[in-house]
Amino acid sequence: MTPWSRPSSEAVTQLTFTEEIVLLALDDKSGAQLHLPVTALGYGLAGAVLADLAVAGKIDTDPERVTVLDPSPTGDPLLDPWLALISAETNARSVAYWLSVLSDRRTEIEQPALDRLMTRGILRREDKKILWVIGLRRYPTVDGQERTEVRTRLGRLILGEDLPDPRDAILISLLRGCRLTDHIFEGPEFAAREQRLVTLAKMDLVGREVATATTEAIVALTAAMNASVPHM
Amino acid sequence: MEITESVLQGTPLLALHGRLDGLAAPAVEEKVTALLASGATRLVFDCSGVEYASSAGLRVFLSAAKKLKTAGGRCGFAALNPPLREIFNISGFLDVLEIHDTVESAIL
Repeated sequence: MTPWSRPSSEAVTQLTFTEEIVLLALDDKSGAQLHLPVTALGYGLAGAVLADLAVAGKIDTDPERVTVLDPSPTGDPLLDPWLALISAETNARSVAYWLSVLSDRRTEIEQPALDRLMTRGILRREDKKILWVIGLRRYPTVDGQERTEVRTRLGRLILGEDLPDPRDAILISLLRGCRLTDHIFEGPEFAAREQRLVTLAKMDLVGREVATATTEAIVALTAAMNASVPHM
Repeated sequence: MEITESVLQGTPLLALHGRLDGLAAPAVEEKVTALLASGATRLVFDCSGVEYASSAGLRVFLSAAKKLKTAGGRCGFAALNPPLREIFNISGFLDVLEIHDTVESAIL
């Protein structure tokens, strides 16, 4: 078995939303991170953690607050630090609050997910030097199977009229929230289905909040940049 | 949450009363799973008594509709009160689910 050969299919359990967002945020060919608006991926990953905990039955959400249903660990080291953090909060906090807190700790969410994707045999790490000095780390896929599968499944959903199952609705909502759909679903056939994508993306509260947080961050950054430009 | 199961003109009906949150959702899901296992291809939710639905509650509704559709059947949501209708609207559910003003019209 090579260092990045794929484990047996039995060993490959379903990816978490966190892993799926990390995987889909990488360029197919180069393994470099796709260019996304400022903080978008941080909010996307924070939303993915909340979605993973919700699907695991550990938390519930509504427009006002995140409620802990069961503080006992999930057994998944990608999620349990964040469940412990949320469970330790004594005040009622909104989804937007937790997106802000978790997105500030993006690296602590992202790196373990990248490591898990390498352990699963989905990604491999590639370290390069630019001009012999500047380090460049990339994560190309081993064979792109997972990315192709999710893109095909979600693409069919966007182009068709089928009802999504809750898991696909959450994933589409998260992907659109952090602007990854612009990269994943390119071409005129998807452009013509923008309204369908909007409808699907509305179906999950966390994904909607990720979209709001991302948009607000872009607006704030644009305003700050405009303010810093000297007036003639 | 109180779940009342009945059959109206041959159609299974689940009347929900109370808060459909993360604690109540598994019980509703269990009922749906049991109905599907018994061969039901049509199901109507009487939502007139649903005071509140969290994300977990909405997932149960979407999951039920998807499973019924996959089984070649239909799932209707009847008599939404204004707060629930607003939640359905925000979530886009009004656009994709089968919504009826009354239980009677859902049965037809």
